[in-house]
Amino acid sequence: MSPEPPPLLEVRDLVKRFGGFRALDGLSLDLRAGEVLGLVGPNGSGKTTCINTIGGLQRPDGGVVTYDGRRIPGLRPHRLSRLGINRTYQSPRPFASLTVRENVLVAATEGCGSTPPDLDTLLASLGLAGQAARPAGELNSAEQKTLDLARALATAPRLLLVDELAAGLNPTELLRMAERLRALADRGMAILVVEHLMGFIERVTDRVIVMNAGRAIFGGRLAEAVRDGDVKRVFLGGAHGG
Amino acid sequence: MLYHAVLGGLVYGLYFTLVGLGLNLMFGVMRIVNLAHGDVIMLGAYAAWALFTAWAVHPLLAALAILLAFTAIGIPVYYLIVPRLLRARDAEMLSLILFFGLQQIIEAAATIAFGTTERSIPGRVLGHHPVRILGQVLPAAWVWAGAVSAVCVAALYLYLYHSPPGMLTRAVMSNREEAKASGIDVDRVCSLAFGIALALAGIAGVFAPFMLGSVTPAIGPDLNIAAFAVIVIGTLGNPIGTVLGGIIYGVSLMLMQTFLSAWANLLPNLLLIAVLLVRPSGLLGRRVRRA
Repeated sequence: MSPEPPPLLEVRDLVKRFGGFRALDGLSLDLRAGEVLGLVGPNGSGKTTCINTIGGLQRPDGGVVTYDGRRIPGLRPHRLSRLGINRTYQSPRPFASLTVRENVLVAATEGCGSTPPDLDTLLASLGLAGQAARPAGELNSAEQKTLDLARALATAPRLLLVDELAAGLNPTELLRMAERLRALADRGMAILVVEHLMGFIERVTDRVIVMNAGRAIFGGRLAEAVRDGDVKRVFLGGAHGG
Repeated sequence: MLYHAVLGGLVYGLYFTLVGLGLNLMFGVMRIVNLAHGDVIMLGAYAAWALFTAWAVHPLLAALAILLAFTAIGIPVYYLIVPRLLRARDAEMLSLILFFGLQQIIEAAATIAFGTTERSIPGRVLGHHPVRILGQVLPAAWVWAGAVSAVCVAALYLYLYHSPPGMLTRAVMSNREEAKASGIDVDRVCSLAFGIALALAGIAGVFAPFMLGSVTPAIGPDLNIAAFAVIVIGTLGNPIGTVLGGIIYGVSLMLMQTFLSAWANLLPNLLLIAVLLVRPSGLLGRRVRRA
C-alpha cells in the first residue's frame, strides 16, 4: 500500500470563544484532496463557526489550522481565496445590481491566485448560462445559492467550504447539487460540507464528523455514526443506553 | 414660445445633469454627501476663467486640462480625508459637517484670491452665431455645454458599465463590505470615483460663466442646491438617473423663466420639496437605487 499523501487541511485543537461560550472547544480534523467531509451536529454545536474560523471570517482563540503545509492563522477571506480556499454562505450575498456573469467575473479577477476557470463553461456547468446577463438581485433563492457556488468556484479553489448549500433547494435541485459537489471532489477538490439534510450528506460525503458543543464526538462513515451511542444521545437526547 | 422653452430646457437640463453628476457619483459609491460640490464647480469656473484671461485658452481645452488636473488632485485628497471619515460611526452625517467646513474654507480662500468681482468669459469664444436646432435658435455656448455634458454622461456610463474598474465600482456601490471580502481594493476604486466626481464638477464649472452669465466665489451654495434638486429628482445614488433629474429640472426652469419669471429662482427648492413629499426615494425609486 502506497503511503497516503499528507492532508490538504489539518485542524488541531481549534478553539473559538464568544464571551464565555466556547463555540469550538478543541476541534481537530483532517481533509485530503479529493475528499468530501461532512460536519453534522445539532444547532449550536459549532459547525458554521468551524467554517467561519477556517475561512478567515473569525479569528481562532486557540489551535492551529494548516493548509497545504502552511499555517494560516487569521488571514482575511480574500487572502485565503487567493491561496485556494473559498466558501459558500448559508445566506448568499451576491452583488445584487451586478449581472450574474459580472459577479463571477469579480470573484475570478479579485479572488483567484491561479488561473481562473473559463467563466462561461463554469456558468453553463451550473445551469446558470441562461441567467448570465440578469442582475443577481433578480434570481430566486436556489439560483442565488448556485451563484454563490459559482463565485466560489471562479477562484479555482483547492479547498471548498460549503455552509448549508442544500437548505431551501427542492429534491431535484438537491440531487443535481450533490452530483456537482461529487464531481468536483472527483477532480481533486477537498470539500468540507456543513449540512442538516442527512440524505444530502449521505450522497455527498466520504465520511462525517459529528459535533456537539464545539467538539467532535464521532468521526467515520455516516452509516456507522447512526449506530454510535454518543451520537444517538446527542441527536435523540436522554439516556438511550449503549 | 412653449416649444422654445422645452427645447432650451432640454439643453439646459443636460448641463444641469453635469452639475449634479459628480455629487451623485460620490454619494452612490462612498455614501458621503459633498456639500462643497458647488464650490468645486466654482473652482472649475475660475480655473477656466484664469486660463482664458492669462493665455486665451479655449474653454474646451480648459475642460480637458481640468478633467486631468481635478482627477489627479482628487485621488490624494480622497486618501487624506475619506478613509478616516468612513471609519467613523455615522459617516454620512459627519460628511455633511466636514464638507460644510471645506465649503466655507474654499469660498473664503477663493474670495481672497479672486475678489468678489463678477467674472465672465465672452460667449463668442464658443461661437459667433447662435445655433439653429429643430427650428429654434439657441446660444452656441448652451449647445456646447449640453454637448459636453452628454459626452460626460456617456463616458461615465461606459466607465461604469463597460470597463473593469467600473464593474468594481458598481460592486462597491452594491455592497461595500462584500466588495472588501471579495478582495477588491475598495480604496483604489473609491479614490478614482472621487477624482472623477471632482473632475465632473470642474468641467461643469468651465461652462458656468456661460450658463449663469458670470461667476463669483459665492455661487457654490446655489449650484449645490440645484445639484441636490437634480439628483434627488433623479434618484440618489444612481448616477445615470441624474439625466432624468437634470432634464426635468432644466425644462421646468425654462418654463418658469418663460411664463413666471419672477418665481424662477424658487424652482430648485420647490422641486426638492415636491419630490421629497411625493416620492422621497426619487422618481426612479428603490428598484434602481443601488444600480
